[in-house]
Amino acid sequence: MAEEKVAKKPLPDVTPVNQPFWDGAKASKLMMQKCTNCSTWVFPPRPVCGDCASEKLDWVQVSGTGKVFCFTIIREVVGTALRGFAPDIPYVTAWVDLDDGPRLCSNVIGCPVEQVKIDMPVVTVFEDSGDGITLPKFKPA
Amino acid sequence: MSIRGKAAIVGIGETPTDRLGGKPGEPRKSTAEYLAWAARLAIEDAGLTKKDFDGQGLAAIYTTNHSQPFWPEEVAAILGITPGVSLAGGNGGASSVSLLGHAAAAITAGLCDLVLVIAAAAPFSERGGHRGAHGDTRDFEMPFGVMGPNCKISFVMSRYMHESGMTDEHFGKVAVTGRYHASLNPNAYLRKPITIDDYKKSRMISDPIRLFDCVMPANGGKAYIMTSAERAKTMKKPPVYLLGWGECNNASYGPRYRANPLITGITQSGERAFKMSGVAHKDIRCLNLYDDYIPVVMIQIEDLGFCRRNDKAFFEKTDFTFKGDLPIQTSGGMINCGQPSTTGGMLHVIETVRQIRGEAGDRQVPNIKFGISTGVGAVNYGKNFGCTAAAILGSQS
Ligand SMILES: [Zn+2]
Repeated sequence: MAEEKVAKKPLPDVTPVNQPFWDGAKASKLMMQKCTNCSTWVFPPRPVCGDCASEKLDWVQVSGTGKVFCFTIIREVVGTALRGFAPDIPYVTAWVDLDDGPRLCSNVIGCPVEQVKIDMPVVTVFEDSGDGITLPKFKPA
Repeated sequence: MSIRGKAAIVGIGETPTDRLGGKPGEPRKSTAEYLAWAARLAIEDAGLTKKDFDGQGLAAIYTTNHSQPFWPEEVAAILGITPGVSLAGGNGGASSVSLLGHAAAAITAGLCDLVLVIAAAAPFSERGGHRGAHGDTRDFEMPFGVMGPNCKISFVMSRYMHESGMTDEHFGKVAVTGRYHASLNPNAYLRKPITIDDYKKSRMISDPIRLFDCVMPANGGKAYIMTSAERAKTMKKPPVYLLGWGECNNASYGPRYRANPLITGITQSGERAFKMSGVAHKDIRCLNLYDDYIPVVMIQIEDLGFCRRNDKAFFEKTDFTFKGDLPIQTSGGMINCGQPSTTGGMLHVIETVRQIRGEAGDRQVPNIKFGISTGVGAVNYGKNFGCTAAAILGSQS
């Protein structure tokens, strides 16, 4: 099989369960699942609550502000599935704890990698992948 | 009814590990061949024959390229035995330690009095098999460039460094100790001793994870055999009894949507194992802890209560070598012996058995009666390990 000229980055499978998250991102909204039975946040999206197993889950919009809980600076491509990220190296992937929501894993962009710090306040930016998916990323607040 | 001291390990088998089969012309060995080889070694070590296992227990651990629902039956077919009790290991890297308890329970309940626990994998030889990402990894990690477990554990390590103040020196000391032990273990793969400086110079892959923090995939097979305490006394090798055991899946410290990743389910698994065994921490002379990454070893030492959380001074002053205060990773660990997928974790059971039998050669811990082995599996989204298990083994029942 011939190697593609420019390796593509993997994109999510949009499923009935996670679709509101990706639809929200396309409309520049950060949408999160919340259990109406026990009030906990549920992320990544699930058909049933991971705490109380209720199926009564709502989608609510969150503010999109948060803090870096921890992060990694990726300095090397490992394997072939993610070789599309080679031009971005070094880049930061972080766990962001939302001020009014759960933790999510995303990229911190818009500043040199050396400037990213734990507890740094960040805010969502929506990045169009060009392939029908918008990725919620974060930049320094 | 407790399983404490009711069953013992009486046979171990470990094939050499290699990384062959990935390049043209290299010899290839299939998972089936490693399974047969590991079983042969364990059965021979126990002084039994394959025939002895008909109607007995067989525990097969699911492995990366062979996760079909009937895997335990397929393993029986590969080995040519007809088990009467069929167990499966579905806890990833924790499976080998999990199955110690499950096998002991089957033996104690009288379902059988022999269990062969076995795993093998050949990721280099059988690379052709596609293994696509799924679920959270595919939809919520890969689109953001998360490069597999290196990346996932670097999140944990980054927070661990932030909260504990641990540095290169602390991680390097654990890496150097492991490699030193590997240099004394003829079955290890990476055997050239390293210094803390070598650790610091090893390249950053997913900062703060360095090359020398990481486990290395390999081909290989491993097996152990358990029997009842009564029968164990009549066998070829000195019995190594299961004295304490615990497992814990889907642990969360703090809310599940924002868990503390610096505490793992080993905290609960370990507590149960200690409680069942009645063995004191000071009498455990050997810790063989699941080591996919160096910081994971350190967090488990804290989880098990051998020191306080974030205890930098403890990591600085403790001699972790086989003749030291608290020997850890006496085989060199998976980091130096290689990780054949979910088989890797069995190294830590086999090494504790070797130490307690007094078969550990140049790295033999002196005067050892008790040791602990752990396993972990599945690095979950925004958390740490989904599967954990701990077992305390000893020379007396
Ligand atoms: Zn709920």
